[in-house]
Amino acid sequence: MRTSIIITLSLVFLVTPGMGLAQGGQPTSILPFEKLPDWSGVWQMQGGTVFDRATQTGQGGVLTVGVREHPPYNAEWEAIYQKNLSLRDKDLFPDVITNCGVPVGFPRVFNVPDPYEFVVRPEQVWILTENGPNVMRIYTDGRKHLEDQWETYTGDSVGHWEDDTLVFTTVALKGSRDGDSILDRTGLVLSDKAHGTTRIRKTNATNIQVQMTIEDPKALTKPWVVTKEFRKMPPGTRIYDYGCAENNRNPVDEKTGKTLILGPGGKPLN
Amino acid sequence: MRSAYKLMLATLAIPALLVSIQPALAHHSGAEFDNDKVVELTGTIKEFQFKNPHTWIQIVVDDGKGQPTEWSLEWGAPNSLGRQGYRPSTFPPGAKVTMRVHPMRNGSPAGGFIAAKFADGKTIGRWE
Repeated sequence: MRTSIIITLSLVFLVTPGMGLAQGGQPTSILPFEKLPDWSGVWQMQGGTVFDRATQTGQGGVLTVGVREHPPYNAEWEAIYQKNLSLRDKDLFPDVITNCGVPVGFPRVFNVPDPYEFVVRPEQVWILTENGPNVMRIYTDGRKHLEDQWETYTGDSVGHWEDDTLVFTTVALKGSRDGDSILDRTGLVLSDKAHGTTRIRKTNATNIQVQMTIEDPKALTKPWVVTKEFRKMPPGTRIYDYGCAENNRNPVDEKTGKTLILGPGGKPLN
Repeated sequence: MRSAYKLMLATLAIPALLVSIQPALAHHSGAEFDNDKVVELTGTIKEFQFKNPHTWIQIVVDDGKGQPTEWSLEWGAPNSLGRQGYRPSTFPPGAKVTMRVHPMRNGSPAGGFIAAKFADGKTIGRWE
């Protein structure tokens, strides 16, 4: 009798919609499709690729010299940023994506040009960027971060839904440790201790808002809140291959950090 | 047909303007081009490289001394241009065209594309 009850309960558990076994065997509650928001379509980031435009002042931009209110860096990392800004002003701060081949990682994945897709599924949300291309996976099946997760460009993200808002944490980021991950071309960088809490919601039919709270005990003196907005593109908009290495005539000279212009024969023109 | 053609050009004109103002050099900085200068070149299209990460227009120009010089003109990403209606056939090989470009700072035969005008008067980009 007892055995049959256990078997029955197990079967009920396994076939109940929205229930499943997450990594580690923990039972979880997964929202069904019909309870998830509709983020379909193609989206374009607004406001250019300076990562934090809300705290930008003066005329400074990705390419131009100017005054900016900086992220809440501590003295050591402010000095690093000042050095990067100086290199940027001389066009000698290389963007790691210029040589193709590496993901832009988190949080820069919310700071690239070209279209985005926000694919909402019960067990995961996928953020796809044409530029790169990049994929960010946010697990919403109840799993936890691995305790022994190694650091990567995009890290590890797990989250849940609060009504129509996706809330997730991102950990295990390599940051600028290996010299191949930045936030934008002004030279913004974070350390391998950075982590973030992100809230994504659709504010109206044509706008998705991404609010990131980034903490970095190695580089920042307090949490840094950055908001990015994404506008829906016309229905039917297509996304195409972005094969960065297809015809890259702008590699970076690794010795100087200078971006090259290659002539038709492959010889640098600068 | 003719009016439809004009409509297509008008449709292309606005996004082309945006592309020209913001060179859309998402893949690299673009600082090597002098955006304060505009150079006009007339020549023959050799090749339109409609490839990632940026498109390049190869055009052969007489250097003024009777010698042909091949210029490399960088434009936006093919995906972005494609969404605006441009195609690999936008600059057919052999076409006679006048280009307006932001030249390289060091005088090399390359630049950032601004606009083009074909022999038949058709324009692309921020010609006016």
